[in-house]
Parts: sequence; structure tokens; C-alpha cells
Amino acid sequence: MYRKRWGFAVAAAATAAMVLAGCSPTSSPAESKGPVTLSYWDFIDPTQDNPRAAALKENIADFEKANPDIKINLSVVSLGDMLSRLPQAAAAGTAPDVFKMFSPVVPQMAAAGAYSPLPADASKITDWLHPTGNLAGPDGKQVAEPYEYRTCTLYYNQKILSQIGATVPTTYDQVVDVAKKAAAAGFTGFGTGFSDTDNSAVIGTFFDCFMNQIGQQLQKDGKYDFATSKGDAFGTFLADLRDAKALGKNVVSDTYSSVADGLANGTVAMAVLGTERIVTFGKTAPDVKSTSLPTASSGGTTGTTFGWTLGIGAGSKHADAAWKFIQYMTGPKAGAVMATGGEVPPRASTYKQSFFSTPAAKTINDISAYVKSNSKPRNYPDNWNTLATGLANAGQALILKGTSGTEFIKSAQDAGNSK
Amino acid sequence: MSTTSLSSRSSVQQPPRPREPAGRRRRRDRTLWLYVTPVCVVFLFVFVGPLFYTAWTALHETTYYQIGKFSGLDSFASLFSDPNLANSIGITVVFSLGAIVIALPAGLLSAIVLNNLHRFKRTVRSLFLLPWLLSQATAGTMWVWFLNPNYGPGSAITEALGFGPSDVFSTTGGALVAVTLITAWWSYPQAMLLFLGALQTVPKELYESLRVDGGGIWRSFVNVTLPYLRNTIVSVVVVLLMLYVQMVTIILVTTRGGPLRATETLSMRVFNQVFQQYNLSGASATAILLFAINVVLTLIALRFRRRETL
Repeated sequence: MYRKRWGFAVAAAATAAMVLAGCSPTSSPAESKGPVTLSYWDFIDPTQDNPRAAALKENIADFEKANPDIKINLSVVSLGDMLSRLPQAAAAGTAPDVFKMFSPVVPQMAAAGAYSPLPADASKITDWLHPTGNLAGPDGKQVAEPYEYRTCTLYYNQKILSQIGATVPTTYDQVVDVAKKAAAAGFTGFGTGFSDTDNSAVIGTFFDCFMNQIGQQLQKDGKYDFATSKGDAFGTFLADLRDAKALGKNVVSDTYSSVADGLANGTVAMAVLGTERIVTFGKTAPDVKSTSLPTASSGGTTGTTFGWTLGIGAGSKHADAAWKFIQYMTGPKAGAVMATGGEVPPRASTYKQSFFSTPAAKTINDISAYVKSNSKPRNYPDNWNTLATGLANAGQALILKGTSGTEFIKSAQDAGNSK
Repeated sequence: MSTTSLSSRSSVQQPPRPREPAGRRRRRDRTLWLYVTPVCVVFLFVFVGPLFYTAWTALHETTYYQIGKFSGLDSFASLFSDPNLANSIGITVVFSLGAIVIALPAGLLSAIVLNNLHRFKRTVRSLFLLPWLLSQATAGTMWVWFLNPNYGPGSAITEALGFGPSDVFSTTGGALVAVTLITAWWSYPQAMLLFLGALQTVPKELYESLRVDGGGIWRSFVNVTLPYLRNTIVSVVVVLLMLYVQMVTIILVTTRGGPLRATETLSMRVFNQVFQQYNLSGASATAILLFAINVVLTLIALRFRRRETL
């Protein structure tokens, strides 16, 4: 009996302790003193054997050496996983201290409550190559800083073009003609894809740049409004390619990677992809060249500036250390290291580093100059992911149901506006 | 007959059980609760709790993963007024039945082969089990690579045979057939294992008697094997049906429900609603519908099984 009473007492004490622990307010978000470990989500795996992974590994090691009280605990998370896991983690109060995010979805993740606003010091950095106003949350506060820049470019396989006796197209109408010739010779004339397994990356990127090229705003009064006579040109271009049998046989299920692979292995004649592939193609597929975007019937060659960004996770208990890490990773020293991995640093001061005066930096200097002169950032809506899925579905209907270019653009717009 | 005689004998021989003292019975009952309580607590936390939470979520507005104000049956109203719901239910039925129609005979046939094999039994069993040993994600990714029209070995084979590249995931019908086949291929070893266990309980004498009476392989299968396996077949159907109705990973890896929702089963719809559309309330409503369908299917199967047992 005596033992039983003790048993009850211990159980009651344990229960009370657990309840009190559960109900007590969480520890203060104020900066903790002493050594801290920052949780950091990035899609790059630093253990892999490629220049980008090596550059990331070196930058993290350099940061930890310069800041012995801060350790970085990196988790490799793909973009698709981040888009689903970040809002959950934020809702559960377990968002990472720092995470990398693709710029078109920054407003969406901010609306999902995944970010803490950047400190006031962020506004003191003024040497960005492009304005950072589009990296803001619903309240207008900046939530992320650019980590690298990229824009769209037209890739073409010189060997295929020479084989079919074509010159590099400078208008989208010419692209259709060249793609038709390439298709007749047994190649995929123009590589794109309508799969949404990779968040509709290839069609989303192309659409983003095309709409900037023709000067078409995506939204009006908070609703998508790009299905205009101007915006129609994008759907018409895709429909023309389809009618010319110039799209890939499996365009419905093609992804960003499969299009890039097709270019590299010589089965795809042309494609519009991001500039981040220029360095890789230069090393692995020398026949693949890049040039400025073709022009539509209206507008020019200026696409959209986009790329990866860094931000502080919602409820981070180490906001000061996280900001220190972000400042370092977007700063001149780390920028010079990441440039060796083929990424375009976003700050002017980075280009004063000695690396950029060496012959090894020629390609990255050229890409940077191209991004600067051929792109401008856009303000993204807070449901880019929904729009991208809508574009992929509209593309699938274009191929499988034979819908028109106008129906394509209207369908994508409706998907974006759907609740 | 023998059971009756045994029971009557035991009733005659056993002396009447002395009445258990009330105190000892209570202690025994308490010990029993000691075993039952942890199970009940776990069941409460991993099943009843989430079920109520899902229902609670379905009755509220949600913004991303934050639960907002009470919205009554709004999410159910939008679910049942969604023109795509009928498509999802239809796809779920076609996918589940299609996979069962393939996996059930494949599992039974492989079990019979294994049961009658005398040499290399372990090697063949390992080979048959191979798909089941792969994770669903690995199996899906492997088939996506195999069937890739640009560089997949599957495409090389179809092209060599003159059928052109294997772009199965690019058409609505092709994608559904491919996903169904991949799922059946991955899951048939589960059926095989269950059938193999049941086959080993069939008395050998029955086969021998039938052989003496002049019965061949087909007659022994129809008159001995099948009657012995009836309840196992029902169990396998229930297990596989639940697996297929709830299947997400293979579909997610191969098609994510596309193209044009051609492979969007109800489970895939729940996944897309949660992780692509961030519509937790709508996904909860769909999940409850899925749960109701699962309950109905299980009850039907169990009823059938009880009849067989009787």
C-alpha cells in the first residue's frame, strides 16, 4: 500500500511536470548568448562532387572559421519539399533559422508565414545589381536577400542547326521555323515540358521571362489578368510549335531536367532555360550555345531576373546569428567563391574581388553582364505555385486536347485566379 | 463429429470448476486492463485523435496550415460540388480494381509455383519478393527511368520492336495503365506471401486422393486449392484494396496525378490539396470521404468472409 501511494505520487508529479512543461510559455525569442547552431535548409548537397557543392561547402567552412560561436547544421531539402514543409514547419514553430528559396515563390512563402522579416540593417546594403523590393512579405517588409541571379536565355545546339542549314533565330516566329526543320530531321525542335512533378519549372520559367519581354503585367487589381491580346502571343507560340510537330514526343511529362538533358545529349535543338546552365553546358556539351531571347511581335529581349534567395525562418531564436550568416553568404568574399561554382553573385562589391579579374572568371563575368543588361526583376504574386501548376495543366490540354493558344493562356489565368 | 465427442468427454471428465473468489477475479480483471490500456491509449492517439482532428479541420477555414474560423459544412459542399470529384472516384476504382485483377492472380500463381518447387526454392522466392523489397519511391523512380522515351531501356526495346518510344506517361490512358501496372508489380509479392502461407496448410492427402481418383492439375486446383484459399483470397483482396485506395507514393513519383488528372486518385487528390494547393480544409473533407469509402469496402469484404467461415 505504502509502495502504491509512492507510485501514484511519482506518476502525479511526472504528469504535472509534463503538463507544466507543455503549458509554459516558450523560451524568449531574444538572442541567446554563447555558441549557437543555426539550422539551414539548402537544396545543394555539399557532399556532392560538383563545383556548386564545393563552393557552398567552402563558404560554410569559412563562415564557421570566422565565427567560432556559430555552427551551421545544413539539411538538404529540395525546392518541392521546401514548398510543402516550410509552411508546416512555420505553423509548428520549427522553421529553420535560415533557408534558401527561389525568388518567384518568396511572396507565397511569406504569405504562408515562413519568414521572419529581415533586420533594419538589410536596407543599408545598397549595392545590389537589381532592386530587392520584390522580396517582401504581405506587410511590405523585406524577408529575403538575393543569393544569386539568373534569367532566361535561348539555348541552341549548333551542330543540329548546322546540320539542318539554319541560322540562330532572333524572333519567336523564326524559332518555330527552325524547330520545324529540326523536327523534320528527327530532333525535338524546341524543348519545353508540361510536367508539374518539378513544380512546373520549365514552363513557369519560360512564361515568366516571355511576359516580361512583351511587357505584360501578370496581375491587375489583385487578380491575374494576362490573358490579353498581348499575352496571347505566348499561347500562340506554343500552339504553333505543336502544329509544326516541333515539340518533344513526351512534352506532357517533360521536366526542366529532361529538357536540359535533351539539349546536352543532342536530341533537342533549342530551348529557353535559365542562365545557370551556361557553365555546365560549356563544360559538358560544347555544341550547346546560348544567345539572347528571341523577340515576339511586340517587346524586346529583356526577360526576368530571378534566382535563389536567403531568408530567416519564422520564430528563429537566433535571428542575429542568422542575419550574420546571410550577410556573409551574400557578401563579396562568399560571392567570389560561389562564382567559381558558376553562380552569378548579386552584389556589385563582389565583382571587385580579385577572382573576377582572372581569365577563369570570364564566363561568369559574361553571364553577369547578360543578366544585368537582359533582365529586370518582377513583383511576384503570392500564389506563384498555383499559377505554375495551371500553366502545366493548360500545356497538357494544349497537347492532349488540341486546345488553342488563346485557350491555353485563358486556362492558366483561370487556374491562377481559382480559390 | 470428433469435436463434439471431445467436448462431451471433457464435460464428463472435468470436475465442476470451483467458484472464483470475488477479490481474485477483480485482481485478474485489473491485470487484464493493464494489458488493454496501453493498446487503447495508442489507438486513441494514432487513430481516434487524428480522425477527430481531421473532422475538426474540415469544419474550419484554413490558411496554409493555420486553422481559422468555423465554416460548418462548407468544405464538404465544395467537395461534392467539385466536377473533378467524380473523376477522382472513377480513377480510384479503375486503378484499385485494375491492380487487384493483376496482383491477385500473379500472387497466387507465384505462390503455387513456389509451393511446388523443390530446387532453388530460396533463390526463386527472393526473385519473386524483389519488387516488394524496394521502397515505393524507388520502384516508381526506377520505372520512370526505365520508360523514359529519351534514354530509358524500355524505350530502346519498344523502338527496336518498331513501336516507337515508350512515352506512356504522356497520354491519359497510358499513364493510368502504367501506374496501375507498376503498383501491381510492386505489390503482388504481398499477396504471394499470404497465399504461400495458406497453401502450406492444405493437407497433401487431399491432392493424393484426387490423383488416385484420376483428377489432374486443374481439378486439384479447382476442387482442393481454391476452396482452401477462399478466406485467404478475401483477406488478400481487403489488404490490397486498402493499399491501392490509399496509394500515394508511386503515383506521386511517376505522374503526380497527371496528365490532366488522369491518375489523380482520391488519395493523390488529398496529397495535392495539402501540399500543392495548401487547402487543408478541403483535403480533410476529401480524407473523410476516403475513410468512409475504406470503411464500406472493409465491411463488405468482412461480411463476405464471415459468410464463408459459416
